[in-house]
Amino acid sequence: MKGKVTVMAALVAVFCLFMVGAVQAQAPAAKNVVIGFTASQTGKLNVEGMRQINGLNLWMERVNAAGGVKLADGSAVKFSSKFYDDESNKGRVQELYTKLINDDKANFLVSPYSSGLTDAAAVIAQQNNRIMITAGAASDSTYKKGFTLVFQTYTPASRYLTGAVDILAKLNPKAKKIAIVHEKDKFSTDVVNDLKKYAEGKGYQIVLFEGYDPGTTDFAPFINKFPADVDAIMGGGHFADTSTFAKQLHEKGIKPTVVALLVAPPEPKFAELGEAAVGIIGASQWEPAAKYAPEVAKAKNLEWFGPTVAEFVEAYKKKYNEEPSYHSAGGFVAGLLIEKAIATAGSIDTEKVKAALDAMDIMTFYGHIKFDTSPAAHGLQVGHDMIYIQWQKDPKGALVKEVVWPEEAKTKDVIPMPKKK
Amino acid sequence: MKAWRQPGFWLPVLFILVWGLYVLIVRQDSTREQAFTLLMFVGLASSLNILLGYTGYVSFGHIVFFGLGGYSGFYFLSAHNLPLMLSAILGGVVSAVLAGLIGLAVLRLRGAYFALATIGVNEAARAFVSNFEPFGGATGLFVNYSVYEGFGGPGPALWRTFIYLWITVLIIVVVSYAIKNSRFGLGLLAIREDEDAAMVMGVQAPRAKTVAFMFSAFFPGLIGTLYFFKNGNVEPGDAFSLHMSIEMLVMVMLGGMGTVFGPVIGAVAYQGLRGFLLTNPLFKNLHLAIAGVFLLLIVLFVPAGAIGWLRERSLKLRKVLE
Repeated sequence: MKGKVTVMAALVAVFCLFMVGAVQAQAPAAKNVVIGFTASQTGKLNVEGMRQINGLNLWMERVNAAGGVKLADGSAVKFSSKFYDDESNKGRVQELYTKLINDDKANFLVSPYSSGLTDAAAVIAQQNNRIMITAGAASDSTYKKGFTLVFQTYTPASRYLTGAVDILAKLNPKAKKIAIVHEKDKFSTDVVNDLKKYAEGKGYQIVLFEGYDPGTTDFAPFINKFPADVDAIMGGGHFADTSTFAKQLHEKGIKPTVVALLVAPPEPKFAELGEAAVGIIGASQWEPAAKYAPEVAKAKNLEWFGPTVAEFVEAYKKKYNEEPSYHSAGGFVAGLLIEKAIATAGSIDTEKVKAALDAMDIMTFYGHIKFDTSPAAHGLQVGHDMIYIQWQKDPKGALVKEVVWPEEAKTKDVIPMPKKK
Repeated sequence: MKAWRQPGFWLPVLFILVWGLYVLIVRQDSTREQAFTLLMFVGLASSLNILLGYTGYVSFGHIVFFGLGGYSGFYFLSAHNLPLMLSAILGGVVSAVLAGLIGLAVLRLRGAYFALATIGVNEAARAFVSNFEPFGGATGLFVNYSVYEGFGGPGPALWRTFIYLWITVLIIVVVSYAIKNSRFGLGLLAIREDEDAAMVMGVQAPRAKTVAFMFSAFFPGLIGTLYFFKNGNVEPGDAFSLHMSIEMLVMVMLGGMGTVFGPVIGAVAYQGLRGFLLTNPLFKNLHLAIAGVFLLLIVLFVPAGAIGWLRERSLKLRKVLE
């Protein structure tokens, strides 16, 4: 009898072991999802490009540390990245994206920084049925070309500077005249063309509308053309030219109610202009002082996803020892959107993830995210809004960057440009 | 006819023919993309060589023909829905006509003055296009993604563009050889050695230089259209990149000025190296520095370029390499 019991016990033990083994064998292995992208490590866009990579890497570290994303079959996916330097140059972008997809087996793509490079990369993404999240690439035209797998994180160029017109209306309801001077490149031209339409639609008179060549250092010919009673000056281009423009406006004593410029003002380095920076308004995709929070999402009946603003800023500062810019936030949120879409779809299949992105309507630390799903402008960002900052002086006389628009996100009231003493 | 049987002719032709066939047989997207980049530069360098190598005139702004021709071809394609290859040929014709007009003015200049004038022409063209509304001004032109559907989708469209480029580059090499071995080419080489003496000997230097300039401008215009079609858009910054213009000069000098095979080898070596360094995990952060050092060494120690160096080495090779 004892022998039989022993044999039975041994059989049960073997059976149990077998079952455990079988269960283990059935458990799906963790998958690795590769995010492929090119970045401007060198060339004229390298500062923006590097910050974007930092943001994306921080997201990847965070999601992998949390165990990855759970799929419908119970398995989890973790993320790794593969990227190449595109030298801020279109020459090899298509070659590099083809390599990322075919040789490096990238499952999802993040776009290069600029719109021109993204247009070229999107052809390859579309050809290979890969989803591409764009970070940078603000021009609306990219999303009006018929791509179905390209999704934008930034507020598009058409809404980039239009808030400045609303700010002017608030500061001076009687204002009538706006002068627009801009860099003649794709991004800046796209922004000001829509700005002009918006301003004219609101009844403003555009008294000057001129472009300058990239690399311009002398703005006197434009400044001399401003009428004495101009109410606002808007435009600019990228960091170097816009900073010089702001400086020369100050030197010539041109102080209309509003001066709103592109790209340069949100950069902390802009404060080096000293007095010339005071009162200047800039449009930013995101600021560390942004007031997006789970409570705001709840009030707007939106789902909140990802870290809070404070958590993101703290983690970024800890890892990179610097304040995150909107480029850093853009890199992080590009990853966050892939994470959310995979989680919703429960799969990494392109069609299912695309459907999840199409239906996405969420709020994150970066703001509201929702995509246009019409065939005419598929993937265009329609949820996110710009934040407007203004350089003001604190009681001690130090320059401080304040969020002044929209009203619900402001840290200080917007002020008219102080007149030169 | 005898010239066509020379190894100097069929060696570069065979090289490009086999290379293209290999890409078509392997049929991998990444091989095609890599070959497209290399072939594009082979075509550009060989075109420039018709002016630089045969007449000795250094054109720093030769990319203007790639840009303006490409813009024109892209305009015919996007605004008038002309077929791709017809648009590309029209782009080439615009470049050639432009070169004829510019040539009449600037080819009277010599040496550094000519080089400076060509840079000026490139910058002027960029400024013109940035303000020319039919070409989209500063924002450029683009084609809707549905254009590729006409080719059966983006994949077949990219393959078709590659085949057009491959055939174009084959024609460029044949034309380059034909010019070099013609009476006209002999006149160009005489201009390169001593323009005044060539004129005394009966070479009509102004006309010969202008025709050479037009030949060297036609093909970049054609290639530009194919390249911009493949990208789906064109902007002034990409079309008139002075950096690319200087790269064209470097590739011609690396392979050997005035030879037919030289620019082919120079472009493949230079762009191949750049591509390798850019994607190699070990070098990808240092690629520009390494490419720079490599070029410095070549210019210092092999000034005649690869083919020039080989031709100097042995009489046998001189007969084989053209």
